[in-house]
Amino acid sequence: MNSFKEKFIQNFIEEDRWMYLVNGLKTTLIITVLAVLIGIALGFVIAVIRTTHDKTGKLKFLNLIAKVYLAVVRGTPVVVQLLIIWFVVFAYPTASLLVAAVITFGLNSAAYVAEIFRSGIMSIDNGQFEAGRSLGFNYIQTMIYIVFPQAFKNVLPALSNEVVVLLKETSVAGYIGVQDLTRGGDIIRSRTYEAFLPLLAVAIIYFTIVTVLTWLISKLERRLRNSDH
Amino acid sequence: MKKKIAALLMAVMAVGCLGACGSKEVPANKVFGVNDLEGKKIGVQLGTTGDIYASDIKDAEVIQYKSGTDAVQALKQGKVDCVIIDEQPAKAYVSKNDDTKILDEEFALEEYAICVAKENTELTEKINGALAELKEEGTLEQIVNAWISPEDGAKKGEGAYTSPEGVDKSNGTLTMATNAQFEPYEYKDGGDKIIGLDVDMATAIADKLGMELKITDIDFDSIITAVQSGKADIGVAGMTVTEDRLKNIDFTDSYTTSKQVIIVRKK
Repeated sequence: MNSFKEKFIQNFIEEDRWMYLVNGLKTTLIITVLAVLIGIALGFVIAVIRTTHDKTGKLKFLNLIAKVYLAVVRGTPVVVQLLIIWFVVFAYPTASLLVAAVITFGLNSAAYVAEIFRSGIMSIDNGQFEAGRSLGFNYIQTMIYIVFPQAFKNVLPALSNEVVVLLKETSVAGYIGVQDLTRGGDIIRSRTYEAFLPLLAVAIIYFTIVTVLTWLISKLERRLRNSDH
Repeated sequence: MKKKIAALLMAVMAVGCLGACGSKEVPANKVFGVNDLEGKKIGVQLGTTGDIYASDIKDAEVIQYKSGTDAVQALKQGKVDCVIIDEQPAKAYVSKNDDTKILDEEFALEEYAICVAKENTELTEKINGALAELKEEGTLEQIVNAWISPEDGAKKGEGAYTSPEGVDKSNGTLTMATNAQFEPYEYKDGGDKIIGLDVDMATAIADKLGMELKITDIDFDSIITAVQSGKADIGVAGMTVTEDRLKNIDFTDSYTTSKQVIIVRKK
């Protein structure tokens, strides 16, 4: 057996193999951040459509589209969605791997975020809504000034959970050849035929990011809760 | 208002679809030999010899796919300029994809060997012994020929190897990890059964050792890990010996040679 030090040198130092992890991490973070933004934006729109329909009975057609969208996205595995986007929808030569990955994970996340937002909006007592209306706010104003701020606080834990899940889910991006963090470890593994160190390094990096992220969100949560008093 | 929004949404979807389907023009082939590889987009299967060698080509962008099939799919869609992969699977892909061909000039030569865990020197020696016997008897040559260059009219792998009758299997099982997407070395033809050169060769070795061969089909880049961790005794998947790999795993003597070739679009 080689000593730990030798293995470490072989897996990370030789031929600058650590760069696979650094570049992979960059890719993972880019995909995650952009996908989260798409997910939150689109998820919010879908949630508003769905709750507006539930509350007022309007937007029947959009609600139907949103429902179909949720059913399709939640009913199929993200790896399959990724392969379909890359090999079927983006089947042209100039397609960018990164864009395909961002769109897939963004669209996927949107479905889950939509339900999170919806549960948040629905959790606000109808009395709040009625109070807003009786104060002379119209539907949109009531939503913006009274319902959303309260709802946002309620959904934050679930939303942070979704972000963490999304970050880790991007590890399947390697399926279409995206060189993300997991794939970076896989490449080292395929070069050195050593499993333990590359996988451990990848796990530690994911864990660190998730821990930092969780800490940041919990700070935000605490700050928002201050306004309760 | 509702209808307007709906119409708008439909329009956006239609445009998006057009954008996706509109620019399907696959660029003309630009790779005609090994010297043209510089600065090209090269598709490979992760962890194969092609992958490792392609990374050394100047300015080339190497895209690692999970399987050779995916790499060839990307080639057909124009996402890569060529695919570098082992000769035999390349032939299988090209025979199923009329719009691709293999360049006459090969990319590299290599030798296939079986991998065994470092600690398991006893097994390595036993397999080397069995391989030597099989080479001497001509069994190995027979297996290789039957799969690689079958006689006219014969099916691929016909008459490659049949276990001798009443063969002894008292020495336990020999677990072989492979990735059955590598015709003709290991692949599934219709049914669930994995067949191929490597399978017949491993069966012949197991027969020599008096063991029962058990095959598990996993990802190519997980085979080494499976062998290292003892989940499998041997890894047989058209694997090439490299210096880096030897530090962490042992290889038996080589059982056959192969070439790395370049697949390109015909046009």
